[in-house]
Amino acid sequence: MEGPKSKRRRSIRNGIEENTMAILDSSAPNDSQDVTDDGIAFLEAVRSSSLLPEDGTPPSCKMRAEVFQILKDGKSIELIMASYQLLIELDKRFPRVCLTDVNKADSSMGEPLELAVSKEDWVPFAFGTGVGYADRDAADEKAGGPIDSQGFQNLVQDISNMANGRDSQAENIKFLGNMLLFQYLVNILEGDFLPRNKVYEGTMKWTLLRESLINMLLASRRINYKSLMKDCLSTLLALCHLPAGLRTDDLRSENDASIRQNECCNNAVAFALIEIGQDACLALQRLLVMVMELDNSRKTADTHGLITRADGVRTPLVEIIVDELTYDSDMLSKILQVFCDPRWKLDIALQYFSKYAAKPSVHTRRSNGSTDDKTFSGVLKCFSNNTSTKSITKKLNPVVAQLLLAHAFQASISVSLESCDEGISNSKDKAEGSSLMDICKNLISAFRSLRRTDEHMRILPLAREAIFTAATILSTK
Amino acid sequence: MEDGALDIELEDPISRPRVSANKRRKIIGLDDLLTDFYKEQSKHLEKQSKREKPQKSFDSDDDDDTAQNSKEALLSQYVVECQQKMEEISSDDDISSWGMQVFGDQKTPPPLKFPELQSCSLLNSFQKNELNSLVELSLEKGEGFLEGLLINGWLLKLALTCGHVEQSIATWTFYSMNEGLRSSACEFWCAILASNNKVDQTAIRIDWLPSFAELKRALETYGFLLDSTSNVLSNVEPSHADSDTEGPPQNIRAWIKFVAAACQARSKTTMFSTVEVEELVGFLICFFLDRVFQGLSVQLHHSMVSALNYFTDEEWCLSCERISNLLSSRVPKDLNCLRILECISGPNARCKQFRSAVAYQLIITCLDGKVTDTEDILKSLISINVKDKSCDLFKTYICLVLAENWLLFGSLLEEKPYIEEMWNLCLRNCSCQITSTDLRLYASKVRNKASYLLQEK
Repeated sequence: MEGPKSKRRRSIRNGIEENTMAILDSSAPNDSQDVTDDGIAFLEAVRSSSLLPEDGTPPSCKMRAEVFQILKDGKSIELIMASYQLLIELDKRFPRVCLTDVNKADSSMGEPLELAVSKEDWVPFAFGTGVGYADRDAADEKAGGPIDSQGFQNLVQDISNMANGRDSQAENIKFLGNMLLFQYLVNILEGDFLPRNKVYEGTMKWTLLRESLINMLLASRRINYKSLMKDCLSTLLALCHLPAGLRTDDLRSENDASIRQNECCNNAVAFALIEIGQDACLALQRLLVMVMELDNSRKTADTHGLITRADGVRTPLVEIIVDELTYDSDMLSKILQVFCDPRWKLDIALQYFSKYAAKPSVHTRRSNGSTDDKTFSGVLKCFSNNTSTKSITKKLNPVVAQLLLAHAFQASISVSLESCDEGISNSKDKAEGSSLMDICKNLISAFRSLRRTDEHMRILPLAREAIFTAATILSTK
Repeated sequence: MEDGALDIELEDPISRPRVSANKRRKIIGLDDLLTDFYKEQSKHLEKQSKREKPQKSFDSDDDDDTAQNSKEALLSQYVVECQQKMEEISSDDDISSWGMQVFGDQKTPPPLKFPELQSCSLLNSFQKNELNSLVELSLEKGEGFLEGLLINGWLLKLALTCGHVEQSIATWTFYSMNEGLRSSACEFWCAILASNNKVDQTAIRIDWLPSFAELKRALETYGFLLDSTSNVLSNVEPSHADSDTEGPPQNIRAWIKFVAAACQARSKTTMFSTVEVEELVGFLICFFLDRVFQGLSVQLHHSMVSALNYFTDEEWCLSCERISNLLSSRVPKDLNCLRILECISGPNARCKQFRSAVAYQLIITCLDGKVTDTEDILKSLISINVKDKSCDLFKTYICLVLAENWLLFGSLLEEKPYIEEMWNLCLRNCSCQITSTDLRLYASKVRNKASYLLQEK
């Protein structure tokens, strides 16, 4: 039964592929409007054959690769937007990796989930040096091919460079295209990693994560993992300055430019740059969070003895970030400001504290003392009396201390709101053991003792806002 | 009518070679034109040189060179002519594309003053707090302090933990979307509305909610041209603008996101009536027509889908029809109406139904409202004689794509088999009665579209 049906399906699919690819087979490739029109018609055809029917089949690898190529080419704003949207929607509809419930009837918590990975599917990445990839490289050569680890790092660097300045309209469109391409790649990495990590947490099968795209990217020998992460951080900073830079430069100077007929396009680009810049900034953060989650899982795998020499050695990302931030308090403030994920923001702040303000343990019970400074309440306790506060401010610049306290406080509010949402008290919570009320009280007393150690200490605006928030929360509850 | 249809049926077997995919040519390439032209010319040249030959015999040998030269000159002249002709053709081919001017000059927004901000209880209650020695907050600097709270995200955290947004804060943050604070203010509103949308959570009490009128007024200050005075959009004119006030301001991004959040929040916070949301959908779809918004298509699409999902199933039937009517009265019947269909691209049932309904209304107005039901539409499409030199192929192309959208996104083809037969007939007419050498504008477009659709079956 299955045989002829699937055969028929495949032949239909081939027919569709041939017809659809023919749309692109233009004989007048020089006219840019024609290229755009043909491209749009092609994307529409892929959309209507794959996404619209209830039982639509995914487009063939060749077609997907072509859509990807249109995004990579970045010929016009219309084409990059349409190809990006189509790729995202295709991925949502036909995920490459997904979870299947082992017994669907009883999908209650704790049931082991299984991973379904479709091997045939097209992937925009080619990592590693396996034999399988050699064929693929040759086949995809014509269509530009998938991205390897070096290509990924180049992309991140290009975005950073272009965020700092672009010379022409063509570069603006290229910049937009690069950001969309990056967002799409992060989407792919995430769609691959999240389900794997979920199953890993239940089953402790490290192989699942070892084979994840993100792990293969980071483990690739073609690039230096640390420098990739540092590139990501500097790109993050470059992107969060984009709106401010645009308001004065691009919007005005585009208008002053002598090229008037492209006015509309310029405006469209100016609009898109801010919006897509923000999205790319979020995508970068998602990438960083993913790496940190992977680090976490790797740590647990290591304690179970699952990490082998083949896995290599890798500095956890949080350590890299903290090291980077130590040299630059300006960067510290910016990164903490722009970083949205509250759990990891809190973690970065806490690591910073524990690294530079770790005080000799005065705890009587060792079991308690070893973990205490890993929680925010533990840190706040260090500021509870004058002597310990003084010893911290000797090592830690008071401005930095204020920044860390304020940001860690904000992150703890979010974490406590989130765990309220989930309705479960996560035992791993950093805020665990103390309610939001306690944190508010302790935060206020921490700032009081900071002030006591130095009467003339200037309180940062952010810190004033934090104190105000803590006091207001206390007074309303 | 019946006869016309029959005629074509009879003609059909002869004029219908099964078009195979690899034989099919997309358009007649310029290369083909060039080779044809050269063939023609070389025949011409040959004839000419034959005619010249007898004369030549009287000439001396030296003249061979000059003859050669004149031949070359002639040839190069032909090449130049040919090139010119090709340029003409290709510039003719440079057919109009979509694009409308949806936003004109921005108006100066009314000055925003918020005297009540100083009396807001958030700031006032803190005055008595002994912690003010650390914070040093004075009411005169209250607004500046609130801005800091907003930008750094504290205001949102306060709203979420305390579960209340007082009126003065609500109005101030809403109108701040017009100012430099827009992205923070927009994030604030979207987050509190989204938070209210969550199940089993006590909703945040928001003392003031913006109304539809407020949103519409905002659009008017942005220079939106579809206000109460004019209801029809104009085609985009070559930009004469050298001012910064032309086209929508950056705030429009906040507006679009706010509409999405507001529509999604319906279950807990109802801000608009169904008629108002119909208007909003109409606005959003018009935005798609302005090329300025090309880079915002992700956000626009999100907003449009949120607005479409606002309606309950009972409301939807009527609203769908009303929005379609609204759009068909506003959008010119050219490539712009095809553009809006492309934009209604969600894969869910409601989007598909909407796309089909809009296409249906558009095709009715395209056929000048003479048709009233589905059969009539198809009959008048079939009756188009594409071979006729005076046939408006542009209109045929528009109608063909509209019909495609109407039929393929709707459920009519499955419900009524005879509709499918009529549709096939119409497609065969268009694909077979136009030859591949037809040079009329849009001839190849109509032909290719129809044969593509036939093959997809």
